[in-house]
Amino acid sequence: MNFWKRSVAFLSVIGPGILAANIGNDGSGITTYSVSGARFGYHILWTMIPTTICLIVIQNMIARLGIVTGKGLSALIRENYGVKVTFFLLLGLFIANIGTSVANFAGLAASAEIIGINKYLLLPVIAIAVWLLVTKGTYVIIERILLGACFIYIGYVIAAFMARPDWTQAIRGTLIPTIKWDYEFIALSIAIIGTTITPWMQFYLQSSIADKGIKIKDLSATKADVVIGSLTTDTISFFIMLTCAATLYVHNIRIENASEAAIALKPLAGEYASLFFAISLGNASLLGAIVVPLTTAYVICEGMGWESGLNKTFKEAPQFLGIYTIIIALAGFVVLIPKAPLIFLMVLASFINGLLLPFILLYAISMANNRQIMGNYAISKGYSYYIAWSTVIVIICLTVFLVVTTIIPIT
Amino acid sequence: MPLFGELFLSEIIKRPVFDPKGEIIGRVKDVIIVKGDPFPKIAVILVERKNEVYAIRWEEINLFNKRIISTYLTVTLLQKYTPSKDDLLAVRDILDKQIVDANGAKVVRANDIKLEGYDGDAVLIAVDVGMRGILRRLGVERGSEEFLRLFQAQLPYNLIGWNYIQPLKPELKEIALTVPRQMVSELHPADIAEIISQVSRDEGAHLFRDLDIETAAEALSELKPEMQADILNAMDAEKAADIIEEMPPDDAADVLSDLPTEKAKEILEHIEKEEAEDIQELLGHEEDTAGGLMTNEFIAYPPDITVQEAIEKFKKDAEEIETVYYIYVIDEKERLVGVTSLRELLLAEPSARLAEIMVTKLKTVVPGADEMVVAEIISKYNLVALPVVDSEGVLLGIVTIDDIIDTLLPPAAKRKRRKV
Repeated sequence: MNFWKRSVAFLSVIGPGILAANIGNDGSGITTYSVSGARFGYHILWTMIPTTICLIVIQNMIARLGIVTGKGLSALIRENYGVKVTFFLLLGLFIANIGTSVANFAGLAASAEIIGINKYLLLPVIAIAVWLLVTKGTYVIIERILLGACFIYIGYVIAAFMARPDWTQAIRGTLIPTIKWDYEFIALSIAIIGTTITPWMQFYLQSSIADKGIKIKDLSATKADVVIGSLTTDTISFFIMLTCAATLYVHNIRIENASEAAIALKPLAGEYASLFFAISLGNASLLGAIVVPLTTAYVICEGMGWESGLNKTFKEAPQFLGIYTIIIALAGFVVLIPKAPLIFLMVLASFINGLLLPFILLYAISMANNRQIMGNYAISKGYSYYIAWSTVIVIICLTVFLVVTTIIPIT
Repeated sequence: MPLFGELFLSEIIKRPVFDPKGEIIGRVKDVIIVKGDPFPKIAVILVERKNEVYAIRWEEINLFNKRIISTYLTVTLLQKYTPSKDDLLAVRDILDKQIVDANGAKVVRANDIKLEGYDGDAVLIAVDVGMRGILRRLGVERGSEEFLRLFQAQLPYNLIGWNYIQPLKPELKEIALTVPRQMVSELHPADIAEIISQVSRDEGAHLFRDLDIETAAEALSELKPEMQADILNAMDAEKAADIIEEMPPDDAADVLSDLPTEKAKEILEHIEKEEAEDIQELLGHEEDTAGGLMTNEFIAYPPDITVQEAIEKFKKDAEEIETVYYIYVIDEKERLVGVTSLRELLLAEPSARLAEIMVTKLKTVVPGADEMVVAEIISKYNLVALPVVDSEGVLLGIVTIDDIIDTLLPPAAKRKRRKV
């Protein structure tokens, strides 16, 4: 096939990987990156490299599952591990994603305040708008909005340059790993991995690949899609950390969340940097607010065998619309309560995600190795097998560590 | 007679199996299903003991119910299970898998399987696809019932009889029944298309292969373009051409226009010449215009013939044509001069000429007219079909009401499937 035909074929296949990875950069993700950058400056930049590698390996495995079986992850787990396992995984996902949605609505509220809009006005409006967009809109419109929104992420890169980082330090920090053996450093590093490789993102990726009906002959194109997606999103995350490192860390400003970051940027990098940061935060949160509840509803209905679909009425698909509505309503409502323990909820969400991830990875890799499911495309001996298993084991160890250390201070 | 009454598969999985001495010989892992009269029955129970799987035949089972499962065999007599590709296992192949509910024309998931004692056998009688099945698998069925009783509410049963079920795995379709069974292929093509759009690509392709040519043609036109392309690409051009030939030309043109050009050309070469020409003509028009929506198969007669002659001709022509409610009247240059309806034709005097009964004030559009304009005219004048003419008045085709409705309200199978 000549170059043009191959490009067209390539373009028609890519999308899921890029979209999945970038949507992962939602409100809670940005919070983690901002806080890490502010706390540890250039010394934590190097974590993005191993994180990106892990992300690519995992997503490639998920993509392979989706292409070969043509089914979503939730359906696959149901068919191979039964309804009990599926039920508990999905329950965890549901709770974790309520927390994630809270983080997203909080991000929206915060960026609204920075830009100067009253959050009590903005949030109900956005919640209703998002709900309507999804129940009355069509998939094409939604996809376009999401892809367009992905471009706004450039705002972070711009903000990073406006922050005038010390480039030599930045490069050194990126390429030379430094490990500080204090709890906070390790916890944040693990949180970075956890927020970059969220469970719901894997479900989303596999479902959109299965839905698109991507064929095995397009496996390499999809691999490229995944790599591009992972690189773009992690580059953006990198720049977020860099921005906070160059400004907040250097001036020893501690922040608790992303909106504080945006505010704190103003005196240090100028009003525009602050504005870019805030708008990008709002954009990422909006993206998350649309995608997370929707994906959760789809994934749960797929696994439990309930009707789903944007074009169905309440009578036809009560669980689907119910789950979606509950998540948005609950998250939107909680964020508006004054003095709501938002940080706690977001930490809880990360915690549950951390609990889920090892199980999901284990199931995914067992299925990917299983000849009965994957036929000749099973990942068996060969370096991809070892890479996949080592990645999974490393992530499991790290997340277990994080979960344990989160519990210990409480007990 | 080991089984009296009924029980659910989930109630016996992992349950211990006892030998004549009352010792546990293993735990139930799965059951092998075979053809039965009238429903499939259990032939072998697979038992797991110390990481090995053993097969106990149904004849060797003593008791089989919710409380106790026992066998005549002792440990030493146990036979190891040798897996065979043709074996159909209930837990591995049916439980938790998607199946087609041919009665409701949709795809559901098997949450549990109901067994009933019949003539000494344990027979698969129904599949539980509802909430009760899920709760039972989780072990909380009783608890939920009690809980709901507090609210005076009931937990409904949602069982589908095995004769209405069609599993998706191709091997499973071989479990034939002697009871007449509603098969997917007997459903309405639009329902078949909806089912195909809800399952994975391979499963959909398998379902499609079972259909006869006419049903396949109708179902194909209801599927979304990517699925159509997938299915047609997988068949050889001749078979694809056979199916497309069965379609009305406007649907055929739609399908071919969404295929990659070489494949479309290949298929066209195998289609019978006249049909291929009709389709080619339609392919020349823009998609969202009257020309893109219209079909060039219609009934048109000259004005001088009598009603009697027209009816005779109609009986021959109407077999192949989709929309026959209107009979158009064209002159020798094929220009549209009038129209009459089937009702008028049947009620008129047999000796009257078409020119006398036809209506001459006609609503028409040109091929380039936008689809919304077409829709408005059809809606305003309550038409079943709208003729499309060129600048000289030559009748090129008709836009039928089903195509306009599809434009305004695409059916779910065709709309881009989900989501984010």
